[in-house]
Amino acid sequence: MERRIALKSMALAVGALANLPAWASGWTKESVVQTGFLSADQAKNLTAIVETMIPKTDTPGAGELGVSDFVQKMVKDCYDSKTQTGFASGISNLDEQSVQKFGKSFADSSKDQRLQLLKEFEASSDPTQKGFFSLTKNLTIQGYMTSEYVMTNITHYEMVPARYHGCVPVKK
Amino acid sequence: MANFNIDSKKDRTYDAIVIGSGISGGWSAKELTEKGLKTLVLERGRDVQHIKDYPTTNMMPWEFPHREKLPKEITDANPIASRCYNFKESSAHFFVKDNEHPYVQEKPFDWLRGYQVGGKSLLWARQTQRWSKYDFEGPARDKFAVEWPISYDDIAPWYSHVEKFAGITGNKDGLDSLPDGEFLKPHELNCVEKYFKEQVSKQYKDRHIIIGRAAHITDPQQIHLDQGRAKCQHRTICERGCPFGGYFSSNSSTIPWAMKTGNLTLRPHSVVHSIIYDDKKQKASGVRVIDATTNQMMEFYADIIFVNAAALNTNLVLMNSTSSRFPNGLGNDSGVLGKYVAFHNYRASVSGEYEGFLDSTTDGRRPNGGYIPRFRNVYKQETDFLRGYAAGFSAYRQTSNDRSGLGESLKEGLQSTRYGNWGVGSHMMGETIPKESNYVALDKTQKDAWGIPLLNISVDYDDNDEKMIKDYVEQVSEMFTNAGFKNVKAHDGKRNPGNDIHEMGGVRMGKDPKTSLLNKWNQLHTCKNVFVTDGACMTSTSTQNPSLTYMALSARAVDYAVKQMKAKNL
Repeated sequence: MERRIALKSMALAVGALANLPAWASGWTKESVVQTGFLSADQAKNLTAIVETMIPKTDTPGAGELGVSDFVQKMVKDCYDSKTQTGFASGISNLDEQSVQKFGKSFADSSKDQRLQLLKEFEASSDPTQKGFFSLTKNLTIQGYMTSEYVMTNITHYEMVPARYHGCVPVKK
Repeated sequence: MANFNIDSKKDRTYDAIVIGSGISGGWSAKELTEKGLKTLVLERGRDVQHIKDYPTTNMMPWEFPHREKLPKEITDANPIASRCYNFKESSAHFFVKDNEHPYVQEKPFDWLRGYQVGGKSLLWARQTQRWSKYDFEGPARDKFAVEWPISYDDIAPWYSHVEKFAGITGNKDGLDSLPDGEFLKPHELNCVEKYFKEQVSKQYKDRHIIIGRAAHITDPQQIHLDQGRAKCQHRTICERGCPFGGYFSSNSSTIPWAMKTGNLTLRPHSVVHSIIYDDKKQKASGVRVIDATTNQMMEFYADIIFVNAAALNTNLVLMNSTSSRFPNGLGNDSGVLGKYVAFHNYRASVSGEYEGFLDSTTDGRRPNGGYIPRFRNVYKQETDFLRGYAAGFSAYRQTSNDRSGLGESLKEGLQSTRYGNWGVGSHMMGETIPKESNYVALDKTQKDAWGIPLLNISVDYDDNDEKMIKDYVEQVSEMFTNAGFKNVKAHDGKRNPGNDIHEMGGVRMGKDPKTSLLNKWNQLHTCKNVFVTDGACMTSTSTQNPSLTYMALSARAVDYAVKQMKAKNL
């Protein structure tokens, strides 16, 4: 139920952005239709990557929360073309490793297999693989921690705290 | 603008014209209209109406597609704006785009501007410290720039006047180096800030840690409610525009107040070209404006003109206002127009950690910080550099999440907050010395989109600033170390002048028309019906944030101007 509410208000949020006056939206690259730069396969694998990094437990994982769209958008809009190329080829490289090792695409591999592959990238001596891993992990964490679900249900973001107390006991 | 008839000179004639609608222009407009003058406010940018035109003000963090980071295309195209701490996804629309409003940097200078109704009053950091007598006495005592034509006692009642209306939070600290004002309930220092305050007062008799004085309504009075403003809600997303009117801006306070008098005409999209000088009357008769939507040049007329275009643009307007009487710019017989520009030096900062109070943290958010009033050379010259610096000081409880794992362990790590040590930080706000060699001038060849010459800016640091940076780093590092803070580190961000957004001078006040442009009433010595009350008028810069002083000078100058007008002296 919480998820449905979350998805509904996400849709509202997109609507709110679309309604920015022209002078304000002139500063953003926002458009209602997301134009990603990854291929369908790469996008599918990216969703599997973020979900592997932060999986569904008793709360939604990064995949379900749409974090892969955020990661893709950030790389597309906020990074240089070299980083973008490295990011896209990092996903394909991870997928190739999966096919070689397990005979299956990354997205179709088991949870343990996917974790194993990501850990290999993390520990890799190849700076490209390592760089891809850390960029993706950092953006996944950012996207997850700033998702509506997490900020509403876990970290309890307050839009209007209406107070400041300079010294309170740390809650154990 | 519907009832605006450009064909009739009478319809384009007002009692007063105010150029600019930012912090000082808003105050000029409020005071003029309250005194019954039909007033035209010219604003080069678009209209921004309180609440209605704050498009991001109620957006949640996750509603920003890049979580406040701006796309690379935008930061690449706007390197100057991008160096401002406040330029982000939620507030970019209140900043000028670099390529739309070019200028010439003879030396690196980050000119940060907000061209819209309200100007930068939407974006400011809202710190409002009064100047002290030592600040006004500075140039005469230390023999730099020129003597101020006013003293603290001249402006003190006007500080009170603007503080009561704007709503200033602060504590009565009883310091002669930083006079108390008409304060609303103060924000709270946190435990580590209070601890540092005690340590410093034990170890140094002349150094103090106080809570900042800031333009936030912590305790609304009737005058604030009458403005339609409410208590500050501690959202600390002020730069988006505050729907509560919790902090002071022209948009939430002075402009609507002026509008309610029925005497205000607000004209956005009006790029001022120059002030018209009438040789026969020997005074200014109006303002030439280029309508930014039609590119049409038009003229507006008034008995009194207030120039509040923001410091450097005020210089530009006066320099571009040439006539046979004033071939070098309006009021510029002395040749000092555009010179003696100065700013605040924010280059250095010091950080550290404190291992005490580990069972405590803070709750909520505070749109303010601690403040260390200037303690160098206050009563007499005692170092190898002139003047001194104030500093910010704030402490915060550091928290982190374990980001090391992958999968379920990562998720668990992210969901549990770990408390670290308290972090402490300070940044300097140094007084720079106005010099003839720090100047702005009109470019001889290049013009902007409206045919107005571009501004050349030639402003730089000097040896005095370098010595001051060194002293700030030494003194604050010592204070931190003496207080038991660990891991003390100093940093020189090498930011460009201008990045402080406290540019001042060029049309300075002074006693002598040979060395200054404005008299003690902010009135051009040689063109009595033109007043300048924004940052351009500043004779020296002190260490305090300047906006409150611009507000007070504006209200004071309007009071004088209207009295003079009624006595038929203008």
